[in-house]
Amino acid sequence: MKKSVIDDSYKYGFSKPEKYFYKSEKGLSEQVIRTISGYKGEPQWMLDFRLKSYLGYLKKTLPSWGADLSGIDFRDIFYYIKPTSGKVSSWADLPAEIKDTYDKIGIPEAEKKFLAGVSAQYESEVVYKSVNEMLKKKGVVFLDMDSGLREYPELVRQYFGTVVPPLDNMFASLNSAVWSGGSFVYVPKGVHVELPLQAYFRINAANMGQFERTLIIADEGSSVHYVEGCTAPIYSSDSLHSAVVEIVVKNGARVRYTTIQNWSKNVYNLVTKRTVVDEEGVMEWVDGNLGSKVTMKYPSIYLKGRKARGEVLSIAYAGSGQHQDAGGKVIHLASETTSQIISKSISKGGGRTSYRGLVEVAKGAKNVKSKVVCDALLLDEDSRSDTYPDMRIHEKDVSIEHEATVSKIGDEQMFYLESRGLTKEQAQSMIVNGFIEPIVKELPLEYAVEMNRLISLQMEGSVG
Amino acid sequence: MLEIKHITASFGEKKILNDVSLSVHCGELHAIMGPNGSGKSTFASVLLGHPAYTVVATKGKKASIELDGVELLKLATYDRVKKGLFLAFQSPLSIPGVSVMHLLRSAYQEIHPVAKKLEENLGNAIFSKGWSAEGVTLVQFIERVKSIAREISIDESFLKRGIHDGFSGGEKKKVEMLTALVLLPKYAIFDEIDTGLDVDALKIVAAGIERLRKQGTGVIVVTHYQRILSYVHPSHTHILVNGVFVEHGTGALSERIEKEGYAKYEKVSH
Repeated sequence: MKKSVIDDSYKYGFSKPEKYFYKSEKGLSEQVIRTISGYKGEPQWMLDFRLKSYLGYLKKTLPSWGADLSGIDFRDIFYYIKPTSGKVSSWADLPAEIKDTYDKIGIPEAEKKFLAGVSAQYESEVVYKSVNEMLKKKGVVFLDMDSGLREYPELVRQYFGTVVPPLDNMFASLNSAVWSGGSFVYVPKGVHVELPLQAYFRINAANMGQFERTLIIADEGSSVHYVEGCTAPIYSSDSLHSAVVEIVVKNGARVRYTTIQNWSKNVYNLVTKRTVVDEEGVMEWVDGNLGSKVTMKYPSIYLKGRKARGEVLSIAYAGSGQHQDAGGKVIHLASETTSQIISKSISKGGGRTSYRGLVEVAKGAKNVKSKVVCDALLLDEDSRSDTYPDMRIHEKDVSIEHEATVSKIGDEQMFYLESRGLTKEQAQSMIVNGFIEPIVKELPLEYAVEMNRLISLQMEGSVG
Repeated sequence: MLEIKHITASFGEKKILNDVSLSVHCGELHAIMGPNGSGKSTFASVLLGHPAYTVVATKGKKASIELDGVELLKLATYDRVKKGLFLAFQSPLSIPGVSVMHLLRSAYQEIHPVAKKLEENLGNAIFSKGWSAEGVTLVQFIERVKSIAREISIDESFLKRGIHDGFSGGEKKKVEMLTALVLLPKYAIFDEIDTGLDVDALKIVAAGIERLRKQGTGVIVVTHYQRILSYVHPSHTHILVNGVFVEHGTGALSERIEKEGYAKYEKVSH
């Protein structure tokens, strides 16, 4: 595989097997898309969807706002790679630095190997199978997107591309044209899924796709918590990751979607995530961005039905060379809808975080309540944080709150903790962990623990 | 013994302490009294090595702060604390999201480490932040904290709250006292621990000081008023005015200050 300009995977000495069952040409063309779709044996409508998206993509340009994306070379990307079934790289081949990080975070051996992409994933497969048996009994569908399309074509066709239209933005168009992998989840009426559905239990040969496509449908009165990613660093040799996540929350249903993104620092992570929420439904995005070179991601919620509620909790950490442009959007289309966006960002070592958010209240949506809190913490003089809150309020009878703070760690706070026997690094990581605590406490326990450890590692400067 | 010799300290260009010396033995209780702006709080901060103050030698005499024979002056704040020094803050800042118990746990492990530190991260992530402190298990430690909290009328729910976050003046002082009792320092300085306390809280704090002293901690109480000295009885009193100790005496000296105030000294030093 040829190294692209922004691909610094070689730094980690990461070896990938050269044996591919099928590998598309570099760059994108109609022929590449036809080949992808043909290879997957997709129905005609999906091929048409892809081609239409591709034509739309060709007319799109990079956004004029947000992070600097000029480093992406779209011609130097393999848009589809189908790996062989057996991975040949081994745990022993992994660089000490990565193994060390995994050890410090304290993840179990089996999981480590899986994360490093060197495991045959037998352990997870066993877990997945037993979880899936349980889900099946309740009528819950939890598959990778390609299998979902094969097994539930009508359901997929009904919703696919309805929440995020293929021509929504350049990266949504690109994803719609070349998507592969991702999850398909359907929760039937009134069914409550007790255990969080974790994406890494869902077995998929191409485990971490570049252009993942996820569709979650929570039918009336149901509830589900979906967890994507993990706190451990994911080393990817692909420089562009552009996922689309669509979620449909029906009347009275409740969905929480938790993401912990920790891609390696060569990755451009440009993701479109959106939900449509019906009457009295609840959508919660818990979105943590720690890794990547550039992330642009603003989980969005369209509150379409009366009394629907939406919440976005966002944490961003930007270290040296990183730009996290994150936030959230809520569009109130109906009366008595409520929303909250809480964003916490940390910048260190010249890193840059931006909060970009939108609260919109459509004409006719009465008694709407919304609250936005964005707090930024700067750890040194070289780091940067910006806030771009957008409010479009077209109705009078609303209650909108907005609070924003930018703080630095004060000398007196540091002195206080040092006077309790903590070193400067320990004190700093304690303050930072305290700062993000309101969001971390919403994470599943093991993720919360790993998150705290990871922040501590960042403070030591031994990672990143 | 905590032995402070010839400390002159400045804040920027401004000299605040001028050739200050003081010796405190284990189990002694000293009161440092003085009017506002006399340098009392600076004295407390300088002992802990607050970065805002510069310590210089006095007229060729060697400045030193020795704790049981160990020179602290060149050590970082946390190292001084690990040697057994403690400061209860006059108005501690809050650290949102860091619970009282979490801070106490972390501090205790740093200050009382086991002789040979166990390797961290053994096993599962959930247990990776393992406990290692001398002579006490985590469960015993937590029980001890709760028990001390009860004794000084701190509701258990406080232990889960962010430290000093939204606490009243009196609550802050009690948590500082709790910290001192939990960490078991060799020498403890209480900076204006009596301000903003009602009589009940004052009695609790005074009992805490007495308890530390009995356990063998050398205690320095820094105060403007004689008020707390009605409840604790210092063996030594030192009067600090304009950065200079103007008089050293016994407990009786503090009672005289209560009647006469600082006017006499302030005239002298000008």
